[in-house]
Amino acid sequence: MNRRTFWAFTIPSVAVMLILMVFPLVTTIWLSLNRLLIRDLDNPEWVGLANYRETLNDAEFWSAVWFTLRFVAITVPINMVVGLGIALLLDRVGKRVRPVYLAALLLPFIVTPVVGTAMFKELFERGGLLSWLWTFVAEDAFAITDGNVQWLIFIHAVWYTMPFAMITFFAGLQTLPQDRVEAASIDGAGFWRSLWHVTIPHLRTLLLFVGLISVMDAYRVFDSVFVFAGTRFQSVESLQVYNFRVALDSNIGRIGKGNAIGILNVIGIFVVLIPFLYRSYKDQIAERT
Amino acid sequence: MKKESLLPRVGLHAVLLALVVWSVTPFLWTLQTSIKFTRDVAAREPVLWGYETTANAYNAFWLDDEEINMWGVLAYILAFAVVALMIGYLGRRMRTSWPWNLGVIAVLAFAVWYFPRAFETSNEYEFFINSLIVTVLTVIISISIGLIAGYGLARYTGVSGAVILIVALAFRALPRSAFVLPYFFAAKELGLLDSRLIIVMSLVAVNQPFTIWMLRSFFMDVPKELEEAAMMDGATRFEAFRKVIVPVMWPGVIATSLFTMLLAYNEFLFVRVLAPTEWTLPVAIVSLTAGESSRTITEAAAASVSITLPIVIVIVLFQKHLVKGLGAGAVKG
Repeated sequence: MNRRTFWAFTIPSVAVMLILMVFPLVTTIWLSLNRLLIRDLDNPEWVGLANYRETLNDAEFWSAVWFTLRFVAITVPINMVVGLGIALLLDRVGKRVRPVYLAALLLPFIVTPVVGTAMFKELFERGGLLSWLWTFVAEDAFAITDGNVQWLIFIHAVWYTMPFAMITFFAGLQTLPQDRVEAASIDGAGFWRSLWHVTIPHLRTLLLFVGLISVMDAYRVFDSVFVFAGTRFQSVESLQVYNFRVALDSNIGRIGKGNAIGILNVIGIFVVLIPFLYRSYKDQIAERT
Repeated sequence: MKKESLLPRVGLHAVLLALVVWSVTPFLWTLQTSIKFTRDVAAREPVLWGYETTANAYNAFWLDDEEINMWGVLAYILAFAVVALMIGYLGRRMRTSWPWNLGVIAVLAFAVWYFPRAFETSNEYEFFINSLIVTVLTVIISISIGLIAGYGLARYTGVSGAVILIVALAFRALPRSAFVLPYFFAAKELGLLDSRLIIVMSLVAVNQPFTIWMLRSFFMDVPKELEEAAMMDGATRFEAFRKVIVPVMWPGVIATSLFTMLLAYNEFLFVRVLAPTEWTLPVAIVSLTAGESSRTITEAAAASVSITLPIVIVIVLFQKHLVKGLGAGAVKG
């Protein structure tokens, strides 16, 4: 395919991305350098880096940063390991019952996140199933508090994000050449050795891919924390929720500062991502020669 | 074939069944809450068995008419579903299935359109319509521009192709908040706030990187020789693409459409920010769950069941495509 045909095919998509993503990013940068209130959008006032200085000195910002980092550090590894484990189990199930398991396990992943969160949370509220079951273990019914809400959010995150890792690994396992597995087992390799020497190397790119996507998505978690913590639990706030609250909450919303937080978020994710992006770029170039 | 002994097999299914319980419990709990009377929901000890059932919560969420018999509503929905299924089933047995598929869509569209004329619907029905329109438009626009771009990216070997893919991947990583505030600002300035247009456009934009990556990986599976043969016979590149490549790409198109559909149907933040009143269903449901009274708990449960039902249907009908899509996007990506 020559260059002109290539651009003819890709230009609509590239134009959409440029107009609707690059332009907003530039606007974000510009807005972040202004003081701008949501009830008075017509009067931006240039303040230079003041919004950034204020954000970096804001204790709530740092608590949101730590919460987000904890969220990523705890949920992503669990998702990967458990997801791979379940994928291996599913791989051994007969073809006829497999769709039943898959459907049930996929449900939390594709349900509307805010709705799934509300459902999950309801189990722990007064009168909920798990809150009530708790009375058999402890004296009182379980109640969500400032202290435990963070752990519930982590558990819920595993509930609804793990299926993504599971299903992707499962799809990857379907392409695993059977003769290699059999060769390993003839050589006397047990389950763990063949997992380590055959299966995992085969899934290498997939592991990287799932890890990358999971980190991206965990870093920008919004829906689940927004619904779980709501306005009741101020102790937990992800970066996105903090950003939302600062920028848009009622009539004290500060668009300027909100954009500064947005830019800091972008810088944060890119520090992590640039090595991966560079690697993918190299892969892409290698593919072409 | 190695024959596995009984014990590990039982253990395998036991573990998987436990995982199924873990996955679906919240859904089952919500389902039983949605059909209870509020007095049973408010009880300190959950009434797990032998409670009276009611459709009041569904009535309260969807309809403005307290008196209506919900069996009538159910009959209405089932009647149209059965007709649609029958047409779809007939279509699968015919040589050309697309007129039948169009028929299914027409029947469903008529059912949705006629419902408010048959029953007194509430505001939430409007939000459901908004959800439908936003989802359908996002899928159509996103897939049509993504399809040609994905094809170009799969076949072109120049460096600019690699650059576009990597920049798209970088966009995929950006937090929503980096876009939503400028969109809000621009929409307010342009008077587009509360319009479906701005929501669809923003969803198409954030979804584009994913769409082109996934479609490209499906195109990579289609052998080049296919369109080369057609072009030897005198077809232009675009004709070859339309007549030879697209027909074999359907699994990829369906898989990508499904994920795009879920993204649009499930979106909360963009709608919440860009549409102060013209909500879609997720925003409407969150506004319900914020309340803590038992009355809204049953109503929120009914709403949650209603919004989840179409997703369950999608899983049952298109599970293979979903799995395939995730596999394709990943293995070569």
